[in-house]
Amino acid sequence: MSLASTASAKDQPSMLARLFARQELALLVCLVLVLAFFSATVENFFSVRNMTNVLGQASLALTAGIGCAIVFISGEVDISIGSLLATIALPLIIIMNDTNSLLLGVSGALLFGLIIGVVNGYLVAYAGINSLIVTLGTMFIMRGGVYLYTGQRAIPDDASLDSFIALSDGRLFNIIPYSAVIAIVLLAAFGYMMQHRPFGRQIYAVGGNQEVARLAGYDVRRVKFICFIISALLATVAGIILAARVGSAQHTAGLNFEFQVVAATVLGGVSLAGGIGSLTGMALGVLILQFLSNGLRGLGLPTEWQLVITGMIIIAAVAFDEAKRRRANGG
Amino acid sequence: MSVDFLHPGEGAPIDTNVSALEMRGIGKRFPGVVALDNVDFTLEPGKIHALMGENGAGKSTLIKIMAGVYGKDAGTVRMRGREVDIKSPRDSLKEGIKVVFQEIALISEFTVAENIFLEGYPTGRTGSIDWKKIRAESAALFNRIGFNVDPAARTGSLPVSQQQMVEIARALAHEARVVVMDEPTSSLTPNEISLLFTVIRRLASLGIAVVYVSHKLDEVFEIADTVTVLRDGRHISTKPIGEHTNDTLIQDMIGRRIDNLFPRQRGAAGSKVALSVEKLSTAKKLIDVSFEARAGEVLGFFGLMGAGRTELAKAIVGYDPIISGTITVDGQRLAPHDTRTGVKLGIGLLTEDRKSEGLMGELPVYQNASLASLGAFARLGFVDKAKEHQAVQDYVDRFRIKTPSLFQQIKNLSGGNQQKVLISRWLMRGLKVIVVDEPTRGIDVGAKSEIFALIDRLAGEGLAVVMMTSEMPELLGLADRIAVMCEGRLTAVMSREEATQEKILNAAIG
Repeated sequence: MSLASTASAKDQPSMLARLFARQELALLVCLVLVLAFFSATVENFFSVRNMTNVLGQASLALTAGIGCAIVFISGEVDISIGSLLATIALPLIIIMNDTNSLLLGVSGALLFGLIIGVVNGYLVAYAGINSLIVTLGTMFIMRGGVYLYTGQRAIPDDASLDSFIALSDGRLFNIIPYSAVIAIVLLAAFGYMMQHRPFGRQIYAVGGNQEVARLAGYDVRRVKFICFIISALLATVAGIILAARVGSAQHTAGLNFEFQVVAATVLGGVSLAGGIGSLTGMALGVLILQFLSNGLRGLGLPTEWQLVITGMIIIAAVAFDEAKRRRANGG
Repeated sequence: MSVDFLHPGEGAPIDTNVSALEMRGIGKRFPGVVALDNVDFTLEPGKIHALMGENGAGKSTLIKIMAGVYGKDAGTVRMRGREVDIKSPRDSLKEGIKVVFQEIALISEFTVAENIFLEGYPTGRTGSIDWKKIRAESAALFNRIGFNVDPAARTGSLPVSQQQMVEIARALAHEARVVVMDEPTSSLTPNEISLLFTVIRRLASLGIAVVYVSHKLDEVFEIADTVTVLRDGRHISTKPIGEHTNDTLIQDMIGRRIDNLFPRQRGAAGSKVALSVEKLSTAKKLIDVSFEARAGEVLGFFGLMGAGRTELAKAIVGYDPIISGTITVDGQRLAPHDTRTGVKLGIGLLTEDRKSEGLMGELPVYQNASLASLGAFARLGFVDKAKEHQAVQDYVDRFRIKTPSLFQQIKNLSGGNQQKVLISRWLMRGLKVIVVDEPTRGIDVGAKSEIFALIDRLAGEGLAVVMMTSEMPELLGLADRIAVMCEGRLTAVMSREEATQEKILNAAIG
């Protein structure tokens, strides 16, 4: 009996339409266009030095963006990451100054990040509080805490460990910044998890339809809980790199960082509604915005204009996406 | 000790002497209601057991307890003689209980194949997902059950009926001892239903206990070995199907005899044309549809799935855009895609999809009822609450709407009572034409006859009722004239007297 085969055959979209239906490909085309445009208009834009520099600059958003995207995919949001960047620099720098040990400093920072992740995750997943509210709250608490603790003065990295400094200016084979290497390795690992490990698929299922996931035997609360921990730990890694770059713990570190990451993630096609998007998309979103900003600066456009343009691009991208989705659903 | 549909013969054979599932003395209360009171329910391996009862009888609660969605307050559950404690869907799945719920429980962004293996991904040695196996096994599964769909398709892109089949197939992909199907045919085509029945019989022949929940008597008589009836949360009867007739089954379900499901009180229809539709076409479905509906008549539209009934309903009330044609309500042209004018002219739609297009579930009964006519209760731009409540109370009394108060959230009412509130919404507005789309979907037998009486009364009060239905008895019992659709076209219009099931079906097939 062949009952059900007819529907899909006739409205099968063309090859080209299907390729463009792949979010990542459309983003890749955008990135190439951005690169091409600035290579033609800005001197030294398309040089190894500039490319790798931008990659290094992008590595913070790439690393924290993984967590942001994962939380989005699970159907929640985490906007506490910017404050977390500033906060974890305190245990990091203080412990290193006391012990002269990068390992202990990093462990302290990760432990702190873990605690924040547990708090966010617990309040959202088990106490059932809206994630925007929870992370808005922890964002303010942490930022306020850093202001209070530092008295708005930077705490310099007195230990000046070579290994720590290498995080900011070291390059693999003298070409690729270590921070970018870290981001790429993490991207690959978590990208693999999201597509090929059962836990990654559970995150998509929970974000796609929580009730369905529960009926399929998933522990929805645990999945969300872990997503917040992942997000906090990745933001911690980004915070460590940032601290190495500025050589101190600063109360203003990572200010507005969460919104840059959210912007890039959304541009990358990761839906706030959950269940849709990929880490590849997020990474492309980060790179597009980073190269754009770098190129516009090369053209001599002031930062204010970069903000305006970024805002317009994000709205346009999401509107385009929405139109596409509507057409795909025939409504 | 269980059977996997995909790999029959693997594992030990099922012992048919021990009950697959035995529920004893099950009790469950919700705030203010006893949903289940001391209910026994026993499933034998290899048997198809129908579970029947009106909405609110406790069927869904019982199934949800089986599935681990709800915990029970009293009673014991045994699987093959061993007492089990099912606390979550995960526990239930582990025991081999697979429930196919009425609402589609699939992730729409996932491929069909991934949805099939949602409960447990096959993994390789490293714990990574074996996608090849997922694709191959789902293809093999579809092959076995004769279900023709592309495992690589995005689930959300499939029509609802195919999604429902995917869901049924999913229940078979893992080891199962008990398979529960909750109204599985609600959106299937006749062909798919017969395919489903073949699958169900095959499941039973493998020794799996099947629970079949349905409102449809003919289906139950065709497929079930045993029938258990629940009413008001209590166990009423469990009998072999052979000991039942249509009448005894209905009697068990509603506790009284329904002599006439379609009591006709109204007189003959008038001759005044209330709604006239000419050469209506839409981008999506409708082609050149023309008809008239007169004041005081019920004009029934019949069609198989995809015939365009819902599309027609939405177009003529001004909800959907149209390409060409005209709609005239009570002598005045209705601009397409403009429900505001539609409501002004006096045409309203009782939607097929109560939940998402009709009800505001969280809001109280009175607000749901007065929604379309707030202007009538307004004084200086503020709603006169006393007047509003009084008007709604009148309808609650007239239609015998069962609600604890006007302030009850409407989502807590039964389907039949929700429907009555929605009808009140339109009547309050002073309608001339009401379009009802599948008015009894998801409504139990007892409440159905009340809805029928209500529709009869609407026509009796001089409204033109345009009724979209896929239920033949409803059509023949209620309509004065019958229009039949097929693939977006009107293929026949006949009076009730000249209509026969055969004539209608022929026109519906085209």
